[in-house]
Amino acid sequence: MNRLFARQVAAATKPSGEVDLDALGKQVVAAYEEAARDRRRTDRSIGLMVDELDQLNRGLERLVEERTAALRDREAELRAQNLRFDAAINNMSQGLLMFDAQGRLAIHNRRYLEVYRLPPEKIKPGMTVEDLIRCRIENGTFAGDPVEYSKKINVLMASGATYNRLHELPDGRTVSVVSQPMASGGWVVTHEDITERRSAEKKIAHMAHHDALTDLPNRALLRERLAEALAHVGTGARLAVFYLDLDNFKGINDTLGHQLGDELLKCVGDRLLACAPANVTVARVGGDEFAIILPELGAINDAAILANQVCEAIRPPCDLCGHAVITDTSIGIAIAPDDGTDPDELMKNADMALYRAKAAGRGTFRFFEPEMDASIKARRAIESSLRAALARGEFVLQYQPILNPRENRITCCEALVRWQHPERRLVGPAEFISVAEEIGLIIPIGDWVLRRACADAAGWPNDTKVAVNLSAIQVMNANLVPVVISALAAAGLPAERLELEITESVMMQNTEATLATLHRLRELGVKISLDDFGTGFSSLGYLRRFPFDKLKIDRSFIRDLSSGEDSLAIVRAVTTMAESLGMITTAEGVETEEQLAQVSRLGCSEAQGFFIGRPQPLEEILRLLRDYAPRRAKSA
Amino acid sequence: MRVEQLSWRQGAGWRGGRNVADKADLLLYFGTRAALACGARYGEMRAMFPGAHIFGCSTGGQIRNNDVTDDDVVAVALSFARTRLKLACAPAADATQSRAAGETIGRELAADDLAGVFVLSDGLNVNGSALVAGLAAAVGDGVSITGGLAGDGAQFEETLVGGDCAPSKHNVAAVGFYGSAVRIGHGSAGGWDEFGPRRRITRSQGNVLYELDGEPALDLYKRYLGEEADGLPGTALLFPLRIRDPRCPDESDLVRTVLAVDHDARSMTFAGDMPEGWVSQLMRGNFDRLAAGAADAARQASGGTRESGDGVAILVSCIGRRLLMGQHAMDEVAAAGGEFDPRMARLGFYSYGEISPHNRSGVCQLHNQTMTVTAITEAAGSRP
Repeated sequence: MNRLFARQVAAATKPSGEVDLDALGKQVVAAYEEAARDRRRTDRSIGLMVDELDQLNRGLERLVEERTAALRDREAELRAQNLRFDAAINNMSQGLLMFDAQGRLAIHNRRYLEVYRLPPEKIKPGMTVEDLIRCRIENGTFAGDPVEYSKKINVLMASGATYNRLHELPDGRTVSVVSQPMASGGWVVTHEDITERRSAEKKIAHMAHHDALTDLPNRALLRERLAEALAHVGTGARLAVFYLDLDNFKGINDTLGHQLGDELLKCVGDRLLACAPANVTVARVGGDEFAIILPELGAINDAAILANQVCEAIRPPCDLCGHAVITDTSIGIAIAPDDGTDPDELMKNADMALYRAKAAGRGTFRFFEPEMDASIKARRAIESSLRAALARGEFVLQYQPILNPRENRITCCEALVRWQHPERRLVGPAEFISVAEEIGLIIPIGDWVLRRACADAAGWPNDTKVAVNLSAIQVMNANLVPVVISALAAAGLPAERLELEITESVMMQNTEATLATLHRLRELGVKISLDDFGTGFSSLGYLRRFPFDKLKIDRSFIRDLSSGEDSLAIVRAVTTMAESLGMITTAEGVETEEQLAQVSRLGCSEAQGFFIGRPQPLEEILRLLRDYAPRRAKSA
Repeated sequence: MRVEQLSWRQGAGWRGGRNVADKADLLLYFGTRAALACGARYGEMRAMFPGAHIFGCSTGGQIRNNDVTDDDVVAVALSFARTRLKLACAPAADATQSRAAGETIGRELAADDLAGVFVLSDGLNVNGSALVAGLAAAVGDGVSITGGLAGDGAQFEETLVGGDCAPSKHNVAAVGFYGSAVRIGHGSAGGWDEFGPRRRITRSQGNVLYELDGEPALDLYKRYLGEEADGLPGTALLFPLRIRDPRCPDESDLVRTVLAVDHDARSMTFAGDMPEGWVSQLMRGNFDRLAAGAADAARQASGGTRESGDGVAILVSCIGRRLLMGQHAMDEVAAAGGEFDPRMARLGFYSYGEISPHNRSGVCQLHNQTMTVTAITEAAGSRP
């Protein structure tokens, strides 16, 4: 019997053994209802569960689809990334190797194969450092023990340190190799062929220490070498430093142009090297300045001997593009330890000796002496105040009258420049013109004089001319003609009223260019005079080569008129010759009435000198021009 | 150890128990609320057993040997030879005082030779998880805590617990067993089957569950109960909820049963905590497998007391099981009984929550929808 029914029967059985059917029936019905409820409950819950699971399933399917699509996208992205990565590593300028944590090659790029000229089929993922090195030994790009090298790299990479080194390949190339451990284990190595870079660096280093034009050591290297050499000085040894520059280099540069100037410097550099002993350093320290270190100097005289050799070596003409250019060098010499033990001090002292050498007449040398210091400082002081003078308007002009004795009339005044130095008396040109020429100030000063003189003369009466002196450097300057035109135009002065005086030295620097300039000036109507005639190496050849308007007979002849027949004869000859060539003559340095009478008799067209009038300021010369004729007339 | 069963029935009064009346140390009883509420039963028991601790509660049905009954009181008088007992009580006005009540009782019972604790608690106003946690914390590891939450049939209105006093609501009582002679075996098993999808507890507070997978929990239950939703909260017991912590699913595996529902808040109050983030799954019962579960629990418990014949097996089974099984409830009681020596007295009750160490973790916990069995015997020896 069913266990439940048995219990139901037992429960419905009275103590008498009689079964209470009513009670049994109720229990059975209740049990059926319970079972029905349970079945409904089960059905319902299973139905709901199925729905829910179905829904979940659909959700999962959707999720799987989405994830699959995302995965596909990610795969495509990864593929693209791989392509980009491939492109990146194969277009690197460096060779690249990537090793995994086990020290096996994972990635290498094309450039790596190129750097070591390895065939692509030789290098495969999975190779060890040692395998790679063996391949390189085979093709001759590695010299060394592969086992030892591989061990060293593995140890270093395990330590986590970055490792940089330069590999000098047997074929002469240099490869910079950098190994860098990765956080994930393994390491990356880059190989860069730096042969060209290194040679460029060497070149740059060379350039930093050498002069580009002459390839001689520059000032920096000179100073280093001097410091090195000085380190050995002191235990009885001596050394000499030569400081030298070219005489009149600036003039040459200005006239012949920078290109020929540069050629000259190269020629000089070559000559210096040629005459220098092997252990001597020859350097170009700037412009036309060179220096020589003569180490292990025995006798002082050895320095003098070398200096003489240098001067002789420079003297012969240099053939520069068809121009035979002559230059001289002046040399200043300082001796260590006597004149200093410090590079700067020695060079400064050699420089001072150079100044003295130049002052002594150029083409020569001087040893440094302590008293040079003071005089050179004084000269330096002039230099620096001279540079400021033009800007400060410290130059003034004075005018000296020139008389036509026959007409008893002032026909011309010579403009003479003076420097109104703020702390000194009026300084004459003798004290500063040569300095101005050396430091390149003569051109602006000369320009100023021309403009000022033209402007002043424009206001003079009776067509009185003005005479202006030109230095050789001015004449050689290509700008002279435009400057003259501009000065005349600015002043409104007719060209015929301007006389330009040049000295014989200008004619000595004779070149076609100089002559052309003088001709162009004459074509303008400007008069050209030859100043101080008879003093230089003068030859009548000049007069043939250029048709001067006027000869100014040097004061020495006039001074000697009273004492010597020679001078008398010369002056007469000159005036006669000049007249025959259509030139007028001016007697310079006329200081007495007698001299004036003499030069008049000798046929000089004009006279100039203290007797006629000293150089004087513009206001006074104006007064003189106004008053002269009546006064002279009176006195006559 | 001597054991004698007795019972009370309306009209028939008390039967049995006369043999050990004056020697009994403990009288354990379970009865319907209707029979116990007036206090008369306690008076009668006290009169019969003046020297014993009288300890019991209201139920959702009494178990006596192979029978399941309503409308009566079942009891067992226990006389120990070498085991000392101590009874402790604490009030629990509401769920928030549960842990404190557990701690109070635990402190009172704690002793070096405390072998085990059997606890009965108000079934509606106490958070069983918190109560057990407080109790376990006070008595320490290694002391088995078993017992259950009192029941109120399928009414869920009022539950009563009494310890040496007339049973009342808002009460927790426990008896401690001391000494080395007492043997306490325990077992717990469900036999329920999970079904349907797993759902995450997305909103809860203590033992109040608001949402599963973002959906109000009560909606889900109503959908599954269909026409039986009218019987809430009782009918919710037909679908217990298995919960586990996804971080340690084996150690945290628990079954929870519903105590109350709030139709406005669409929330459900369970007999224990419903931690947020835990995973839950609905369960449903199959009569045979529930009965097999009960047998499993009994087997676990009897394993500890097989050596001695006399003793008592206290069966605490969930009211949900009875609601589902109906007349088949007796099948599980009989299945459990089959695992014991026939000399073992068996009694127990249908509860609103079962208390027992967790099968795998060994941590004492509140269970639901289980059959929990506590077997008490005493090692052979004469009474001192």
